[in-house]
Amino acid sequence: MKEPPDLRELVGDDLPPDELARLAHVDALLRAVPPPPAEVPASLTGSVGRITAVTPLWTRRRLAGALALAASLAALFFGVGVWTTGGGGFEARASVPLRATESAAGASGLVRLGPADAATGNWELEVVVSGLPKLPEGGYYVLWLAKDGKYAGTCGTFNVGAGTTRVRMSASYLLREYDEWVVTAWLPGRDNSNAPWLLRASTDV
Amino acid sequence: MPVAVATSDTDAQLIERVAGGDRDAFAELYRRFARPVLGMAMRQLGDNGRAEDATQETFAAVWRSARSFRSDRGTGSAWLYAVARHAIIDRARQRREPVAEVVPDEPAAEAGPADEAELSWLTWRVHAALEQLPERERVVLELAYWSGLSQSEIASYLDVPLGTVKTRTRTGLARLAPLLEEVRA
Repeated sequence: MKEPPDLRELVGDDLPPDELARLAHVDALLRAVPPPPAEVPASLTGSVGRITAVTPLWTRRRLAGALALAASLAALFFGVGVWTTGGGGFEARASVPLRATESAAGASGLVRLGPADAATGNWELEVVVSGLPKLPEGGYYVLWLAKDGKYAGTCGTFNVGAGTTRVRMSASYLLREYDEWVVTAWLPGRDNSNAPWLLRASTDV
Repeated sequence: MPVAVATSDTDAQLIERVAGGDRDAFAELYRRFARPVLGMAMRQLGDNGRAEDATQETFAAVWRSARSFRSDRGTGSAWLYAVARHAIIDRARQRREPVAEVVPDEPAAEAGPADEAELSWLTWRVHAALEQLPERERVVLELAYWSGLSQSEIASYLDVPLGTVKTRTRTGLARLAPLLEEVRA
């Protein structure tokens, strides 16, 4: 690629010296860096736009409610005796089986809910899946929460290997505001906005 | 996402508004920084799909973590840069690829890590400043510096008089000058 023209050619030669010096500084910076990307793909903008579909989160007003909910959930899980411990030291207070849809026949999964951090309201979870195919380069699976059958918030992404895959995640959502856990696949170069649901489970535990 | 409406708010003010759940502020931050983030991710990951993932993760982290921003510790742009770097490094680590060695920033292909980091930061600041220009000026500058087109060819491409190209170039550079006054190549 050709070098850009000289600054005087770019802006004309009728500028006072001090103004030309000011522009020369910018000119040197522009010549020193690589070009920005031509454009931001619309699919990316759409994906980022969905991030705010979840009402966030920790305004002070909502923090108190979230902490109260976390405490209630912990008490509920403990009270009904749902207390499981898995590998790697992850202590789950409840396990939610994910059921496979027709799009992922043969797959299975589990969302294991960990304790909430009282200071922040964040809580851990572990997704355990098997039977999902390895995705092509650049693809990944997404665990998210749905409300009224629509995307409402991402919990995390993961890829799978042979056998069972376990992935730790962290979330800070008010679980009661959502209806279902959902797993879908994100595939590069495709419109993933209507990707089929592969695994799903009610958030009611 | 709400359509970003140009605002005179600083980056720091926008992040603080995002911390309070302001979607409009988030949209404006995305408008200002989507291309710098995507550009950095593409240079360092070398793959469009993964770069888009890292960009998405960057803005998800911004939405989640805006409360952690402290304006007394640095600029909003610097905070966003750090968030983006972390997202890109995380994405690179998923493939066990050391991010610094994947695709160094051009044109310093043989630079060491410190030089690469310096160029990455410089590039970030220049690209972020470009996003603050009116579209017509930004387009002319990008064509002038990175397309290889002559001014006459740019005029023809944009279907505007040559004098307009020069005026927009001059105005755009002048508008960038205060934004990049403290930046050194």
